[in-house]
Amino acid sequence: MSTKEILTTSGAVPRDEALASLQQLTDAALAWLPQDELLSELLVRVTEILRADTAAILLLDDEQPLLRARAAKGIEEEVEQGVTIPLGKGFAGRIAAERRAIVIDDVDHADILNPILRDKGIRSLVGVPLLIEGRVLGVLHVGSLRPRRFSAEETDLLQLAADRAALTIDNAALYEQRRVAESLQRQLLPNMQRIPGVELAARYLPASRDTLGGDWFDAFALPGGRVALAVGDVVGHGVGAAASMAQLRAALRAYATDGHRPSEVVARLNRLMWQLGPRSMTTLSYAVLDLEAERVEHVCAGHPPPLLLEPGGEGRYLDVKPNVPLATVPGSWYESTVHHVPTGATLVLYTDGLVERRGEVIDEGLERLRVTAAAVDGGVDPLCACLASKLVARTRADDVAMIALRVPPPPKEIDGSWPAEHATLAEIRHLLRRWLRGRGASEEEAYDITVACQEACANAVEHAYGPGAHSFSLQGRFEDGRVSLTVRDGGRWRAPRGQHRGRGLMLMRRLMDDVDVEHGDDGTVVVLERTLAGAEARA
Amino acid sequence: MSSLARIVVEQHGAFPVVAIEGEVDASNATEISRSIDAALSNHSIALVVDLTETGYLDSAGINLLFALGARLRDRQQRLLLVVDPASPVARIVAISGLAVAERTEETRAAALEQAHAGL
Repeated sequence: MSTKEILTTSGAVPRDEALASLQQLTDAALAWLPQDELLSELLVRVTEILRADTAAILLLDDEQPLLRARAAKGIEEEVEQGVTIPLGKGFAGRIAAERRAIVIDDVDHADILNPILRDKGIRSLVGVPLLIEGRVLGVLHVGSLRPRRFSAEETDLLQLAADRAALTIDNAALYEQRRVAESLQRQLLPNMQRIPGVELAARYLPASRDTLGGDWFDAFALPGGRVALAVGDVVGHGVGAAASMAQLRAALRAYATDGHRPSEVVARLNRLMWQLGPRSMTTLSYAVLDLEAERVEHVCAGHPPPLLLEPGGEGRYLDVKPNVPLATVPGSWYESTVHHVPTGATLVLYTDGLVERRGEVIDEGLERLRVTAAAVDGGVDPLCACLASKLVARTRADDVAMIALRVPPPPKEIDGSWPAEHATLAEIRHLLRRWLRGRGASEEEAYDITVACQEACANAVEHAYGPGAHSFSLQGRFEDGRVSLTVRDGGRWRAPRGQHRGRGLMLMRRLMDDVDVEHGDDGTVVVLERTLAGAEARA
Repeated sequence: MSSLARIVVEQHGAFPVVAIEGEVDASNATEISRSIDAALSNHSIALVVDLTETGYLDSAGINLLFALGARLRDRQQRLLLVVDPASPVARIVAISGLAVAERTEETRAAALEQAHAGL
């Protein structure tokens, strides 16, 4: 018997048995293992099939031309020490670069870069590339501590195992990428918080489940009963675009909350993008709505214009002033435009994915959006749902983000209940001012009556300590030119303490024609009345 | 700081100028009061509180300004208020008697002039 025959026989595995074992590599049960466990299991099976002593999987790095030890059996140090092998160098590096199997009968006389292989006393090696659709994912190699010549048949078997492994690794990578993408995207998009005085709805439809998009939207309250709306589109996809989007969204909120005017907010965002470096061009539509003034200030940075839907109207696009997109001109300044947004109207901001279709000019898409949106009846959420189903294709090349805001008209009469918390005061204040203005109160009257009512509300909040007294109600009526406001709570009226609370009562009396405070065991009722001057003049 | 208002502090020589931009009510008065105190030092002879950009003020804010004036007097420091007669808060400052208790000027420049004159 020749040496070659001895060596070969010692490593032989019945082919049928080997194939059956390889089939198991794609077991459904295996597919659900986390990637690390999956690879370990693969190596165990491969060493069993080939009766080898060591096995390792090295995967190609995403960014650099090198292989990184990812899983190992018998040579676990490879992974622990984070061994990397340059592409094209050494045993594994050559397999990946040349996309072919390499067999080494005698390690002592071969070009081996990785000292761990020698230190372990590995005598013979065979390695094959992990290929998927012609792409190299990495390298799978097995080793023997005894001198051995891996046959062509064994090399083929290893390649078969590698092909199955590659498929599984690629699927796992895709699954992992999808999981990360979905969770990241969820984190990055805002939870739509309720903003007092407006109705809001939004949709985000990524181009595909596997990639992160660069589209985003945001909505938040600003001081003075104003609401900020933003929709942006970072060109490109993937982690870079998503990270850029997250930075921009946070920075926009910060600049806006710091009190900067809309044009300044956008100019600062542009400067920030130049500072942060590597930049992706970004388009942005930023609007700040003043509910009381029924006015929106808008800045357009290379973005399609907002759609305004007035009750019963045909819908029209705001005549915005176009500015350059962000990250295109350093130090650029941005001009805003101001538009009338009447009570009852709906404003829609969106990204170009909603209006762009291959092979058609954008005007057609804009017209389609306008006609579709104008035909929807019944609130912002049905509107977004309708636009998403009618205008967004199942398979799309681009993300779509949209946000719709409606300013509902103030009610004819106020009748509401609020939690006994100071934070509700601002909400009531803005509702009250809009309601009073709607009833024909002058600016000064609206201010006076609001202050007086807030005093009563603040009182209700402050003495709402007893059980069952955690809310208060406000009713507002307007009859024959006279405003009547009733604040009710379930708490016990606290006698004026010091001059501070006395000051609140004094203000109420000075600001209103009549102030009536009744307190009983089950609560306090404050009735405030004042006749509007305009009403007297009309009478 | 709540999103209702923000405090902008500028130092004009020995005089801190604190502008209250936004709305003051019972929900943020304590916070604003603390921010104003933080702008003060023992070396400040006078403090200017600028209400030009204050959109809303009720008794919570009025109380805080009365209390601030009293604290400053105890420390031999002066409070100067800037109230634009056309601003929405001008009436409440007048009705509450705050304009009687504290020195009030129509512009920041006038308030600073007064502060310097008091040196």
